[in-house]
Amino acid sequence: MAEPIIRTEGLSKKFGPFTALNGIDLEVYKGEIHALLGDNGAGKSTLIKILSGVHQPTSGTIYVEGQPHAFKTPRDASQAGIGTVYQDLAVNPLMSVTRNFFMGRELTKGPAPFGLLRMEEMDQITHDEMVKIGIDISDPRQAVGTMSGGQRQTLAIARAIYFGAKVLILDEPTSALGQKQQLEVLKTMRRVRARGDIAIIFITHNEVHSMLVSDRFTFLALGEVIGKGTHEELHGTDIRHLMAGGVEMADLEQEIAAI
Amino acid sequence: MAVHEASSQRSEADRLNKGGILDQLKRRPEVGSFIVMMVVIIAIGFASHGNAFNPLGLKNNLSIIAQFGIIATGACLLMIAGDFDLSIGSMIGFAGMSMSMMLKWGLPFGLGTATPVTAFLITLAMTLFLGWLIGTIVVRSKLSSFIVTLAFLFFLRGVTEVCFRIINQSTQISGLPDYKETSWFADLFGGEFFTWFYSAWYALGGNLNRAGNQWVSGFDARLLWWIIVAGVAYLILARTQAGNWIYATGDNRESARANGVPVDKVRISLFMVTALCATIFAACQVFDTNTADAAKGNLKELEAIAIAVVGGTLMTGGFGSVIGVVFGAVTFGLVANAVFFIPAIDGSYYRVFVGVVLLTAVFLNESVRKRITGGL
Ligand SMILES: Nc1ncnc2c1ncn2[C@@H]1O[C@H](COP(=O)(O)OP(=O)(O)OP(=O)(O)O)[C@@H](O)[C@H]1O
Ligand SMILES: [Mg+2]
Repeated sequence: MAEPIIRTEGLSKKFGPFTALNGIDLEVYKGEIHALLGDNGAGKSTLIKILSGVHQPTSGTIYVEGQPHAFKTPRDASQAGIGTVYQDLAVNPLMSVTRNFFMGRELTKGPAPFGLLRMEEMDQITHDEMVKIGIDISDPRQAVGTMSGGQRQTLAIARAIYFGAKVLILDEPTSALGQKQQLEVLKTMRRVRARGDIAIIFITHNEVHSMLVSDRFTFLALGEVIGKGTHEELHGTDIRHLMAGGVEMADLEQEIAAI
Repeated sequence: MAVHEASSQRSEADRLNKGGILDQLKRRPEVGSFIVMMVVIIAIGFASHGNAFNPLGLKNNLSIIAQFGIIATGACLLMIAGDFDLSIGSMIGFAGMSMSMMLKWGLPFGLGTATPVTAFLITLAMTLFLGWLIGTIVVRSKLSSFIVTLAFLFFLRGVTEVCFRIINQSTQISGLPDYKETSWFADLFGGEFFTWFYSAWYALGGNLNRAGNQWVSGFDARLLWWIIVAGVAYLILARTQAGNWIYATGDNRESARANGVPVDKVRISLFMVTALCATIFAACQVFDTNTADAAKGNLKELEAIAIAVVGGTLMTGGFGSVIGVVFGAVTFGLVANAVFFIPAIDGSYYRVFVGVVLLTAVFLNESVRKRITGGL
């Protein structure tokens, strides 16, 4: 097996007395979609916030292509090739598509930060990159607020890839979307996967979605890994059971029926 | 089941109707303020029988407009980044006090007599430091800028009065020498500019006083400063990387941060920009009139915010334009000055007008925002 593009070893995170994560080992390979599953509060978001430099782990190490890394800021993580697309803070609605695409990494002429924006060029790149990933926006200067939720996710994904992400982290990219747009995002993910050089970490509560697109699975419950495997290995196991943190579905059904 | 054939060929790109030039203009943030400005210009032109725009009227109006414009530009940039500065007015008072006291009583720590250059530069260093301090407190404490700058509104005004009383025994200074006669630097703030404009007017047969000589010789230096401040602010906001950072910071701060925008630096810098604008405002006042007063700049922070809002800046940040603020400043300046040209009204009318226009502008801004963001 090839070297994982991201590997974590014994990653733990404490918020004061509360242990959010406890000894997480994770392997993510390029060209694969890796589903990170678990119930509410299992620690999925905490884990990816550590991977993207928002939080620092209490203990444990992150290896990117075999090299140990300690991310102090989101910038460190994105420089190491980890691009994160947050559900809620992916884009700025009042700004244009282009200004969003290049936010924080504008193309300029002249000394920073007062260099003039190379607007034409940025419009062109934005348009081209969005087309590559499957969305033909008519006007890159339209406000992002006018785009659909799925398009915004796609914008954030296209942006992360354009700026050299080797690992894309998508935190519940489909949760706020309608059926059709959910499929758009899943299609986008498959297109990215087809390039072969990028790994995707996909967090979702949707069992069907995870089975549709993912190659590899890691299940979290109460801050620990309770199961992992490839699509084939997991075939036949009760994914729902693992997603619910090991609770028997039959028990839950009984509990619900008893009310 | 009836499925429309055409739906499969339609793509997302077809759904945004870009419309004609008129439609695109309507989507600009400045439309509302432009219309209000035109109405006010015409109304005041008529009501004053043209006197508001005769040579002296134009000079006086543009002087007030420029004053408003200078501070409103700073307030606008800061609001776009999502913050307020209620200390602008007190900062004006503080800066004016600082400059005039140095000019009258000499430099601090016995460094000798002050020149306009040293008085200005030392004052600027202090106000920029205060701007930095306010920004740093806001950023570090994560408190709302509203409350932090409200504290500085009181604090700075108090400090200004106390300094005046202790050192000067009176809260006013008047009768400073007319520095603009002797110092090019003072002339830069208090002198006259664009004399060619009035010379040309005279040459064309207008601009005559009763004796038939040239009447008005030039505009106040404030006009020049306003043009510089607004021009630079426009360029930065619309055309540079820093401008993109300002918009990003006010729109969705966390998103901006996650994308590598130095959000804290942007916010702190903009508090320094409002302090700079207040200092320019004060310098123009001190070197023009050779006086200072502890009450100078009172309520100016609220007028600056009102002008920014009337100019189309969103209270919630992320959206606004310097051009809109130019229109807003013209509107406010004309109305504030209207008492001098229309005998039937007094200052109360100005405040009534401000209230009405402000409320209208907020509603208008909200609808513009809904339009550009598709009802977000
Ligand atoms: N900054 C924080 N301070 C204290 N506790 C936190 C913090 N962030 C997360 N937690 C706690 O850590 C636990 C894991 O949270 P996390 O957001 O990672 O869960 P999650 O798996 O993403 O859940 P969901 O599916 O609801 O998004 C939760 O109990 C949460 O309350
Ligand atoms: Mg979460």
